[in-house]
Amino acid sequence: MLRTEYYEQLKALARETRSRFNLVSPRVLRSDLRRIYRAEGVRIDLWPHKLGHLRGAYFNDALGPTVMLMKGLPEDSMVFTMAHELKHHLVDRDRSLSYCDSSNQSNPIEIGAEIFAAELIYPDEVFRSDLEEMGINEGQCTPEILVRLKHETRTTLSYAGLAKRAEFMRLAPACSLSGVRWKKLEERIYGIPFYKTYRKRK
Amino acid sequence: MPNVNMREYVARRIRELRVAYGKKGLSQEELAQMVGVSTNTISRWETGTYEPTLNDLELLARKLGVRMLDLFPKIDQETSKDQTVDALLRAANELDQSDIDELRRYAEFRRARSIYKHKRK
Repeated sequence: MLRTEYYEQLKALARETRSRFNLVSPRVLRSDLRRIYRAEGVRIDLWPHKLGHLRGAYFNDALGPTVMLMKGLPEDSMVFTMAHELKHHLVDRDRSLSYCDSSNQSNPIEIGAEIFAAELIYPDEVFRSDLEEMGINEGQCTPEILVRLKHETRTTLSYAGLAKRAEFMRLAPACSLSGVRWKKLEERIYGIPFYKTYRKRK
Repeated sequence: MPNVNMREYVARRIRELRVAYGKKGLSQEELAQMVGVSTNTISRWETGTYEPTLNDLELLARKLGVRMLDLFPKIDQETSKDQTVDALLRAANELDQSDIDELRRYAEFRRARSIYKHKRK
């Protein structure tokens, strides 16, 4: 099978999973993923110890399927990691062990998990139509537009994920969204969030 | 699996490993400080009055520098299962050593959970 076919199949599986578990918006929460894991009989363990590059791992053997997730990950990263490991459960469960870190992301199985996770959280077509509704067509997407999109849709797909996709779908020129300081930009557009000003005042 | 009272076995192992730690062993106070619990708790774990949770046992093993499974009775199939995990982890050569160690610890945690749950039923 060609890689592109494999990736398209994973996207289709992600959309099917969205519809099976009634995920209707691009704001997928960890509680949604917990619900899916419960239905799939996968146990989640939050690992409280320090990890290097590792964010999560999927184990499946005679002890049953379990997922180890790094405790304390921010919401977006946690949701993405849970979605990533879900792909390993749905597709690669005969491999006994799959792990997710920043070093193995060129492996097609891991790239597939990233594609599945992104599609599960915010499907390509919904992303494209949301941008079209904002009047954005090919090559017109800027960092400010992505910040507005994330703010308005409240998607849990990270800025890195949104930027990668916008460039891949040629909605933004290649490399135009790399090196952006997303949180700074967000604060410039929408102001500093209350919890930060509150913390400063204290 | 031999018929072992799990609570008593684990209690005895905590004491044995504490006494055998390093060259001189550790006092209950020293171990309590390392694990972040009170000395009474260590004492009660060692007499089997309190049953430590799996997370407590994982932390104890980590602080005592032993495998978590060293706190539990040996099981026949354990070695081959550990070897499978070891082989998989050796193949994961692009991971940091510290991450491989954590994955191995997690694999042991899963095994320990199944033993603990099984014997408490």
